[in-house]
Amino acid sequence: MAEGSPPPGPDPVGPAPAVRPFLVTAGRVAPTASGKPVPVETQVVATAEGLAVLDGLSFEQHDIVAACRQPQSIAELAARLRLHLNVVRVLAEDLRAAGHLAVHIPDSGVTHDASVLRRVIDALRAIPDSRGVLRDSD
Amino acid sequence: MTATEPAGMIQAPSVAAVRPPLPVKMVIAGGFGVGKTTAVGAISEIEPLTTEAAITEVAAGVDDLSHTPAKTTTTVAMDFGCITIDPTLKLYLFGTPGQERFGFMWDDIVEGAVGGLVIVDTRRLDDCYAAVDYFEHRRIPFAVAVNAFDGRVEHTLDEVRWALDVAERVPVIVFDARERGSVRDALLVVLELALARTGG
Repeated sequence: MAEGSPPPGPDPVGPAPAVRPFLVTAGRVAPTASGKPVPVETQVVATAEGLAVLDGLSFEQHDIVAACRQPQSIAELAARLRLHLNVVRVLAEDLRAAGHLAVHIPDSGVTHDASVLRRVIDALRAIPDSRGVLRDSD
Repeated sequence: MTATEPAGMIQAPSVAAVRPPLPVKMVIAGGFGVGKTTAVGAISEIEPLTTEAAITEVAAGVDDLSHTPAKTTTTVAMDFGCITIDPTLKLYLFGTPGQERFGFMWDDIVEGAVGGLVIVDTRRLDDCYAAVDYFEHRRIPFAVAVNAFDGRVEHTLDEVRWALDVAERVPVIVFDARERGSVRDALLVVLELALARTGG
């Protein structure tokens, strides 16, 4: 669901949900016990348990676990499901606590490691100038 | 499938069906309408997505007796894209929301980023001060990229550097936000800075 891109224009504000965003989180806004939100690139992926009980989940919980058959970031989830970023954070934490989702918070010590940066640099250098050549990812 | 957590990941419980890639984040900043989303779209493997992020706006003013800046949280649109490096590594490009005023805090978006690219329109240099200040203050490696609208820039790079008063170590380059190769090269400048900082 929620395919398609937002309307064109400079820095558009995304489509406003009809439901006030934090209704679906029962008013909770703190995503984690520490109060520090997980980074927007945090990866979430459905667990086998989550997929097994998918039909019993409702609404946003269902949509999140279903979308997370493929790992993706909190930000991608929010965009694709048209949910507020912080709503996704709260619900992802609930689903993680229930065992339905695995939440992988990136360790910035590792993402800033020289070997990781070199891999990113090498891959970017291999990107051609134009989109004429399709790369066979996937 | 294994119980072992992938390198660099913490808080990874139980049995995930698929192992996610390690996400590496870069931030594209600059004023309103300067070409941030264009740049992301030029190189992203997906059409740029939009989501809403919470940013903190610090009230300007010197008449605050408590010396505690008044903060309000604002919801803004944030565009982003990504590039799959390989199945274990994915680069995310997040555009900071365009801002008209100083004092926005983008910590929610920027936390953990390996570097930033500040896009500049030389006709509106003022618009990028907030981004330059932010990255300098947070000590995040960044470069200033002058977007050559219609292939032209109104000022020389030396003039831009002088006007923005950026440190000598900060690269100031010209690029075209519409051109994939140009955006790629601008990102590489930032990544090389980040790499140099590791001593690697």
